[in-house]
Amino acid sequence: MSEDPRKPKAFRLTPDEPGQAAPSKDEPHETPRPKAKPKTATKARSPRALPAPEIEFEQDAGDQPLVPAIARDHTMQKRFKWGAMLVSAALGLASMWAGLAATRLIEDLFARNEVLGWIGSGLLGLVLFAALAIIVREIVGLMRLKKLGTTQADAARAISADDARAAETTLADLRSIYSGRADMRWGMAQLKDHAQAIMDPADRIRLAERDLMVPLDEEASRIIARTARRVSVITAVAPAALDIALVGAQNLKMLRELATLYGGRPGTLGTVKLARMVAGHLAVTGGLALSDSLISHLIGKGLIGRLSARFGEGAVNGIMTARIGLAAMDLCRPLPFLTQARPGLSDFMREVVKFGDGPPVEDKPEK
Amino acid sequence: MDFATGLVSPTLRIGVTGLSRSGKTVFITALVHALLHGGKLPLFTALTKGRINRVYLEPQPDYDVPRFAYETHVEALTGDDRHWPQSTSRLSQLRLTIEYEASGLIARNLQGSKLHVDIIDYPGEWLLDLPLMSHSYAEWSAATLAASEREPRKSLAREWLAHLATLDPAAPADEAEVQKAARLFTGYLASCRTDDVSLSTLPPGRFLMPGDLAGSPLLTFAPLAVEPGHSAASGTLHALMESRYDAYVSRVVEPFFYNHFARLDRQIVLVDALSALNAGAEAVKDLKTALTDVLGCFRQGANSWASAMFGRRADRILFAATKADLLHHSSHDRLEKVLELIVEDARKRAEFAGARIDVAAISAIRATREATVKQGGETLECIAGIPIKGEELGGESFDGKAEAAIFPGDLPDDPHAALDGSLEGELKFVRFRPPLIPAHGAAGATATFPHIRIDRTLEFLIGDRLA
Repeated sequence: MSEDPRKPKAFRLTPDEPGQAAPSKDEPHETPRPKAKPKTATKARSPRALPAPEIEFEQDAGDQPLVPAIARDHTMQKRFKWGAMLVSAALGLASMWAGLAATRLIEDLFARNEVLGWIGSGLLGLVLFAALAIIVREIVGLMRLKKLGTTQADAARAISADDARAAETTLADLRSIYSGRADMRWGMAQLKDHAQAIMDPADRIRLAERDLMVPLDEEASRIIARTARRVSVITAVAPAALDIALVGAQNLKMLRELATLYGGRPGTLGTVKLARMVAGHLAVTGGLALSDSLISHLIGKGLIGRLSARFGEGAVNGIMTARIGLAAMDLCRPLPFLTQARPGLSDFMREVVKFGDGPPVEDKPEK
Repeated sequence: MDFATGLVSPTLRIGVTGLSRSGKTVFITALVHALLHGGKLPLFTALTKGRINRVYLEPQPDYDVPRFAYETHVEALTGDDRHWPQSTSRLSQLRLTIEYEASGLIARNLQGSKLHVDIIDYPGEWLLDLPLMSHSYAEWSAATLAASEREPRKSLAREWLAHLATLDPAAPADEAEVQKAARLFTGYLASCRTDDVSLSTLPPGRFLMPGDLAGSPLLTFAPLAVEPGHSAASGTLHALMESRYDAYVSRVVEPFFYNHFARLDRQIVLVDALSALNAGAEAVKDLKTALTDVLGCFRQGANSWASAMFGRRADRILFAATKADLLHHSSHDRLEKVLELIVEDARKRAEFAGARIDVAAISAIRATREATVKQGGETLECIAGIPIKGEELGGESFDGKAEAAIFPGDLPDDPHAALDGSLEGELKFVRFRPPLIPAHGAAGATATFPHIRIDRTLEFLIGDRLA
């Protein structure tokens, strides 16, 4: 600390409230008043974690973070986008045309009959309102998706550097993401319960992961398994011309479900953005994952391919879907995998080749 | 034999290591209380996951060791006139049995999903004796005399040193002189322990806490100015002192060590760094020396298949700065840094041997709550509680009834400041009375003690054995 060390001091508090000697659990704002000490403003509060503003946390610049945030695709260089200019200019023109057409339509309607004119205006108002709502929803969806990513980065920093401020931010983010959800109420109550205990920032994040992420992870695994199974069946039975479209739709649906589960609530644009992120994520981590398991699975499932080309294709598509689901899980989960085991591709293999409505994947034991 | 027993009824021996007043008794009491009553231990995974079915106290396995007076200590901490337990004067033991949902095949079927946790409590002074096992009388005398040459010991040792100067090691032994020397020496050791000096390296420990040996010849000796390697002629004062010292080591120190510390599975080293910081740089240095010497005696390191059969080693060691509730949590990092500096050598040695190490600022029973005080434009992170009667700060004396918010001063960013004396008078950690806990907690359960990082401690010490 740069300032001079401060001398020890004592402040008397009112003596006639003996019950306050114990750190009370649930009354956070009791304020014993200072005794006759005019200059001393004493404000006592029950214990809870407070951000400590004057401590300068060290930036360990040289160290690699121990818990890496998700690797993201940074390979594309930012260049001036002529295509974007073309599209936005064209869109501008189109909206001017639409506006003009609408105005003219309303005018025509009024010219013909006043009642028709009012009905037309009302409908137009609804159209505009709905469009606005959609735009807002898309923007909110994108922002929430982005927030999941930043929360993850904060959490990684809190764990690696035991950074109290990053941990505070992470927890505040988690609270804002999950506060309104009925299925998270138990976890949030746990989190609130622990908020007053004194513990290390890293431990706080680990605890939050255990309280909040575990039920979500189980649900996410079920979603991925279900979709992978469905995709493999669809590939096997659907007509060849249709299966690509159906598989794509299933995958998008899965992405959307996963993002919604972890608190992303993406709209159409959000889903598309997530799909692009997943593609980037797979490109970055693809080589690694390919070497460890995919090859062996492809070879192992070759037997199915021998039996039936369609079923072989189905298995491959199912595996691919599971990989996409896992990548989306990595991206959408607001905390990195710390105390919980990260589900791997092999957890879903059984589901993919089962071709039927078996029980959902079992919960993985903890690390 | 431990290996064979361990297969059928697994036992975990936890060595609660700490010099006197480091808080061993309170730590053990709080630990047992939290486990028995299901305290708030969010980071202790086995408990929060519901894998622990039952925890209970069992009669301890050693027939000749008194039982740890758990109930008495809880009564002292929660009774009408709540106070910290008296300092421990004898050895005692406790066996805690944890029934849990084991996942392993052997653990589930052969071991009955039970884990016995054996904990012993003992006067911390006795721990100071362990380094004596590797010193002869002459070496010990020389070291003790050399230490007494420096301040702050020098002024405290004046009377004893004056008497020592009149003694001739080669003269015939005179029991009266020996007794006087022992008495003065004991007085010197005791005076080194007062709060304003607060020194730690004071062997032999039984002089300070004799247990049931008070007055016996085993405790009636003192250092003499003798040359190392010089053998004593029989019948001289030197010979008598030396024979008593040797008897002390072989009859008191060695049994204590081999019976209780030679086979530890886990070790927690409690260090009261705050009292040493209160007293100043000399006390911190002395604490560092004492801990390094003492911890050098333990068997630590990773266990192999062979060591599991022929003598276990402590494979996890937690260095804990106790009484962390005496300062605001934003300073805990700095307290941990000071602790790391104090146990530097001991930690390196244990790490080299392959033991798993952790360092934490803990408080077994949290006696304070946190507060911020705004005064003259600066914000002070304080802790509030009821200071013990007689504690003083800034010319104010506390009566043991009124609550006060204390700002204990800023711990240094660089822990080395604790050793170079630049902190004199900058810090004052006031001791608080135990917290008042309600008779019953939520839903009629027994209320548990508030704590700081006891759950993390438990997870580190026994969490892996409950998987």
